[in-house]
Amino acid sequence: QDKRISGRVIDAASNQGLPGVTVLVKGTSTGTATDTEGNYALDVPATGTLVFSFIGYTTQELPIGASTTINVTLASDTRQLNEVVVTALGVERTRNSLPYAATQVEGADVTKARNPNFVNSLAGKVSGVNIKQNNNLGGSTNVVIRGTKSLYGNNQALFVVDGVPISNANTNTSDQYTGRGGYDYGNVGADVNPDDIASVSVLKGAAATALYGSRASNGVILITTKKGRKGNVNVTLNTGATMGFVDKSTFVKYQDKYGAGYGAYYGPNEDEYFQQYNRPGFQPGLYVPFTEDASYGAAFDPNLLVYQWNSLDPTSPTYAQKTPWTAAKNGPSYFLRDAVGFNNNVTIDGGSETGTFKLGYTNTSDKGILPNSKINKNMVNFAGALNLTPKLTTSANINFTKIDGLGRYGTGYDSWNPMQQFRQWFQTNVDLKELKDAYNRNQQNITWNPRSATDLRPIYSDNPYWVRYENYENDERYHYFGNIMATYKFTDWFNVMGRVTLDSYDELQEERNAVGSTGTAFYSRYNRTSREANYDLIANFDKNITEDFSFKGLLGANYRRQMINTIFAQTNGGLVVPRIYSLSNSVNPLNPPFETDQRWGVDGYFASATFGYKELAFLDLTARRDQSSTLPKGNNIYYYPSVAGSFVFSELYKDSPWLSYGKVRVNYAEVGSDAPVYSIYNVYGKQDQEINSSTRPSVGSYGSIPLFSLTNTRNNPNLKPERTKSFEAGLEMSFLTNRVGFDVTYYKASTVDQIIPIQVSTTSGFNFAYVNSGEVENKGFEVTAFVNPIKNDNFSWTLNANWTRNRNQVISLAEGTENLVISTYQGGVSSNATKGRPFGMLRGTGYVYNANGEKVVGSNGLYLQSPSTTEIADPNPSWIGGISNTLEYKGLSLYFLLDVRHGGQLFNLDTYYGYGTGMYPETAGNNDLGNPSRTPVGEGGGIIFDGVKEDGTRNDIRIDNTEGVYGYNQPRQMHVYDAGFIKLREATLTYSLPANVISRLKPFKGVDFSLTGRNLWIIKKHVPYADPEDNLGSGNYGQGYMSGSYPTTRNIGVNLRFRF
Amino acid sequence: CKDLDDYDNLNPKAATTVPAVSLVSNAQRVLANTINTPDYNINPFRFYVQHWAATTYPDESQFVIETRSINRFFWDPLYRDVLSDLNEGKKLVTADAVLDPKVKANQLAAIEVLEVYAWSVLVNTFGDIPYTEALNADNVLPKFDDDAAIFADLTTRLDKAIGMFDASASGLGTGDLYYNGNVANWLKFANSLKLRLGMTLADVDAAKAKTMVEAAAPNVITSNAENAKITYLSALPNRNQLYESLVQSGRSDFVGASTLIDPMLATNDPRLPIYFKPVAGSSNFKGGTAGTPNSATNNSTPGAALENPTLPGMLLTYSEVEFLLAEAVERGFAVAGTAEAHYNAAVTASITEWGGSAADAATYLEKSAVAYNTAAGDWKQKIGTQKWIALYSQPTQAWTEWRRLDAPNLVKPAAAISEIPLRLPYPTTEANLNTTNYAAAASAMGGDVVTSRIFWDKL
Repeated sequence: QDKRISGRVIDAASNQGLPGVTVLVKGTSTGTATDTEGNYALDVPATGTLVFSFIGYTTQELPIGASTTINVTLASDTRQLNEVVVTALGVERTRNSLPYAATQVEGADVTKARNPNFVNSLAGKVSGVNIKQNNNLGGSTNVVIRGTKSLYGNNQALFVVDGVPISNANTNTSDQYTGRGGYDYGNVGADVNPDDIASVSVLKGAAATALYGSRASNGVILITTKKGRKGNVNVTLNTGATMGFVDKSTFVKYQDKYGAGYGAYYGPNEDEYFQQYNRPGFQPGLYVPFTEDASYGAAFDPNLLVYQWNSLDPTSPTYAQKTPWTAAKNGPSYFLRDAVGFNNNVTIDGGSETGTFKLGYTNTSDKGILPNSKINKNMVNFAGALNLTPKLTTSANINFTKIDGLGRYGTGYDSWNPMQQFRQWFQTNVDLKELKDAYNRNQQNITWNPRSATDLRPIYSDNPYWVRYENYENDERYHYFGNIMATYKFTDWFNVMGRVTLDSYDELQEERNAVGSTGTAFYSRYNRTSREANYDLIANFDKNITEDFSFKGLLGANYRRQMINTIFAQTNGGLVVPRIYSLSNSVNPLNPPFETDQRWGVDGYFASATFGYKELAFLDLTARRDQSSTLPKGNNIYYYPSVAGSFVFSELYKDSPWLSYGKVRVNYAEVGSDAPVYSIYNVYGKQDQEINSSTRPSVGSYGSIPLFSLTNTRNNPNLKPERTKSFEAGLEMSFLTNRVGFDVTYYKASTVDQIIPIQVSTTSGFNFAYVNSGEVENKGFEVTAFVNPIKNDNFSWTLNANWTRNRNQVISLAEGTENLVISTYQGGVSSNATKGRPFGMLRGTGYVYNANGEKVVGSNGLYLQSPSTTEIADPNPSWIGGISNTLEYKGLSLYFLLDVRHGGQLFNLDTYYGYGTGMYPETAGNNDLGNPSRTPVGEGGGIIFDGVKEDGTRNDIRIDNTEGVYGYNQPRQMHVYDAGFIKLREATLTYSLPANVISRLKPFKGVDFSLTGRNLWIIKKHVPYADPEDNLGSGNYGQGYMSGSYPTTRNIGVNLRFRF
Repeated sequence: CKDLDDYDNLNPKAATTVPAVSLVSNAQRVLANTINTPDYNINPFRFYVQHWAATTYPDESQFVIETRSINRFFWDPLYRDVLSDLNEGKKLVTADAVLDPKVKANQLAAIEVLEVYAWSVLVNTFGDIPYTEALNADNVLPKFDDDAAIFADLTTRLDKAIGMFDASASGLGTGDLYYNGNVANWLKFANSLKLRLGMTLADVDAAKAKTMVEAAAPNVITSNAENAKITYLSALPNRNQLYESLVQSGRSDFVGASTLIDPMLATNDPRLPIYFKPVAGSSNFKGGTAGTPNSATNNSTPGAALENPTLPGMLLTYSEVEFLLAEAVERGFAVAGTAEAHYNAAVTASITEWGGSAADAATYLEKSAVAYNTAAGDWKQKIGTQKWIALYSQPTQAWTEWRRLDAPNLVKPAAAISEIPLRLPYPTTEANLNTTNYAAAASAMGGDVVTSRIFWDKL
């Protein structure tokens, strides 16, 4: 017979009531949660077991006895072994029963360093996850779990927020991700409010994710948001500010000995390096070669007076005046400002016996290091739950995020990225403050790089201030996601849940090139609408077969419907009226806008069963059937199974004094992926397929004559699903009453029948053809370990470490194909997938080595170059890892995280050009004779490159140090660097007011003060003048390729948190 | 939600059936753009024949090819857009059951002429190329065919096409960007192409050259009005590519090379002020040095005529035909007229094509360095030099003619990384994607290097 039990759950550390603790009758779904004071009351059967669980605390089980009061003390579970983990489809499980690798990160750890992008805050914290962020304001983050699997897929982990799969795609153009230019608009996944996150579960292998079907082959990042708690209304207020300072080790250091020019070719009358003009109003004199965007010119000499760029503008204070030939006082670092960020958040929650609610609002505003750059985010979240009857519960969760971007940084190799001029093509005599004044005087594009002494229009480089204030982009994204769900409890052991989820965003990106800039003036707008709806119906079973054998199961259906709709329009041939950014302001009639309309759906049915024997052994079985509209009928239904088991062997040694916990787990799973939409049937193109580029306007007609062309990619009516087969085994152990422990996982996954638009010889009539082919294997180890060297009432020290080593290999490609070019880049470098090699190997010209492994120098004194198909860099790190330390003394907590990437290489276009144009100190030093190397060879200058001549003797060919010799005239391999690093990624110092003080501050339940730091120190790196982690953006493309890189900022912030 | 069966997986924004001629129009556009563009990412031949020199960035004029994958950007559009779209257009025309048979024959013949033209450009540029197995999407690893064998097949195909034209019926119609559907002109273009291909063989197969040239000569283009050309439009994106590089880009990458400007100055060539602008702030013309960086302000830059967005793009001109006929006479082929008369007609046609008058031409032809009797060198030298000047805005053909006639005598720049290219190496993509066949072709060519010769380049 039922009886009512009540009691209070308190925190072992603080002796305070613990709200939100789940109290469950074991083996049933009968349960409740504690209120704000930690109290609960529950009707229970006469016999059985009560389970008290709460995230971050050790779960306790107590038998239901005669007493009607059960008080419980929960201890916080630093070892995180018996904690509750959120798994696929939101199923909560104890870590004990988990037969696969999953890492859970608590919300507090995500928000600790106040990173506005929660994705970035996972870096270094989870084994198996490779997070690569760039230094672009609001830029995208590459999140790859257990290696690149799909040769052409996006490989990004799937993000699921409270059961809502949300896209983590970026909407950048192919020009952007191959380094040709454009903006990085960031991933949509970053729209999740970090302050709203209760926990993040990272499901790594296929066994953990198989229930998600097609999309989960890249792993899942499962986010559970905070829910309202029963009891009084709680208010939490966070307010913080952050400053970012450029880390000087990641920006260029300029040589200060030589100025503008490519070399001495203007004849003796013009001092070789300068030009002469006869201009009315100007005294005869020497003119700096303005058009030459290099610093291989004349040696600086303060006594030499020359006409410089600032002598040409009639409004300049130095108009028609010669000025001393010296290095700039204010180099490009003057251009960079300190970043400033503000972050404010308020969360209100509360509830009663029949329902809970939570309302949150966050505003973040970030100004970047470039002038006129700003991103604002406004995020509103509402979650409510209502128990309509004891059997029927309903809930809804709605998130609305608005992102406004202004002046995002240009990326890669184009005029919108000021780093292109600052790192690759610049004159060391140019003073940025003067450029700023020149722009501010008249808001004109007065550049250091005019076409001639009389034509002040820019030739190659705009005034960077003009670029920032006139050629800025702006964008906005309205992002809504959420769900509504209802659960009906038929019996204690059986319920049915129905849920509808929606992820929807509308985005506008406007780009511009003002009249007077390099290139044609234009205005373009890109509208993108994305909708994804999921309809889920899931029946849950939870019934013990006997006292010792437990069973949990589910049967479900998921219908997914997606739509992406875009339109891109651009003015044609220039803008009639300057500074009016409207399509109607086009000089020539508009070309038709470029439209896409993609719609597809997947129907899935799935089942899972978990059998448990005591707390000793668990067996998981899952199966899913998917049917996708993007595959040809007949090939569009596919199944995938998983089987997983765990064995908690420490249960057999309960009396062991040293072994606290031990579990082995092993699993096997297969998951499949469907094809990209519209890759089955061939069509004709009315326009070039890739037109999202100012240099490649759409061509749909020739005047009134229509033009059609075969598309560049050949579709394939015989595609079948791609499959990933994955095996995983793990061992978890902890010792000495959980003071020390580890978790080791070995995994091996191979992805076969890849659906890839392989690049084919254009002699076939196509650039690409869709095929099912190729196999990529990833295998590796993941290790996490912790140790609690000190733990007493006042002081504790916890050290967590994780380490990941992934080995990736392309096993096979399409028949007869040895190599696929994934992408080609500026500088004659390409990313490749080569049979038998790791994915993404960079190719380009390399050194030629002799039999002794020495570099061979040709008769011209430069290194010989191997063919451009030579592998020069492997972008894959040999291992990555993180170490975090938490030291707590009473209310004071110090935390810091070291993030390590060992190995992996990159090709650096910045030094390839920049060393070639002579702006770096390396190009202007002394030679082996102690003379300035820029001095001609005949006068004791020149350089000898280290190597051997073709006849095998040591190189002694002294050559002039002229443009190109340190850069683009040499093998590409010369600009390959080790991309490894050790970074002090996060550091925080938090002070919480002690409970006895709080109790006197009437309205407050808690006050925390913290100092936070992000990217404070790059302890070790090998790439000169840049952050080795900075990359073009997320995706398969551009990895290991650096161009127009932005410096890192050291971010230091303060944050105040109040709970009422 | 929508039933899964209601998704047809068909792109609603793309067509599955199109007018056949629209594919031919696109091929014509891309062909004309590719062979004549000054974009140094695609077509570096103005540097190779030293019509132009570079300003700040001399790499391409020093024959650096791979950094910008120039060879690939010349190869890809010819295969993927020009030949592939022509091939598709041919299929659609052939399959059209309601098209008048005569019109169909005219359309297929015109497509065939365009294909022969495009293939000949590829052979002349690379040598052995995928041909018999090319343009088959089911075979992405086509073998490379011998350049001479391809050329032989092209001449057969061209003859067949010439036999198919019927001027009494219409052809490609208004979608024809070259002749606006004028079949009689297509026949002349086809014969002029036959004359060009025949003469290309002259050094390796004189007998075949003679047969071809003699058969074609009576039916060739006879005036500038019949030139094979594309008329560009004033609005983007269908402007002359010269306009895009010289004006629209806002850059200043090119100056005239002294190699061309000096002889034009010496003969007071009436085309000089059209081909080039005087040095800024003066009335003097001065060429830069090929293969080195040059000041854009101290040298002559390309002329205002080249900055006209609607300047037509030439594929085959009356001037070239007359030069070929002059050469035919010199080689002893039975064509009407004297070498001198044809030479004079060729030079005159070139000058009038650029807006000069017949009187300008006559004056020019009297210069001893120009007049056929007194100009320096043998006939190859005389014809080669004037043809080189006349082919100013046809860089691809100018480069072929320079290699074939070995005139004028161009000197490799000191800073060049190689000899003046006699061919382009195959694109790296071929080496990567079609490796085995690529290796065989490279070996057959005597190495995939710029000094390997096309089969007709014997001398």
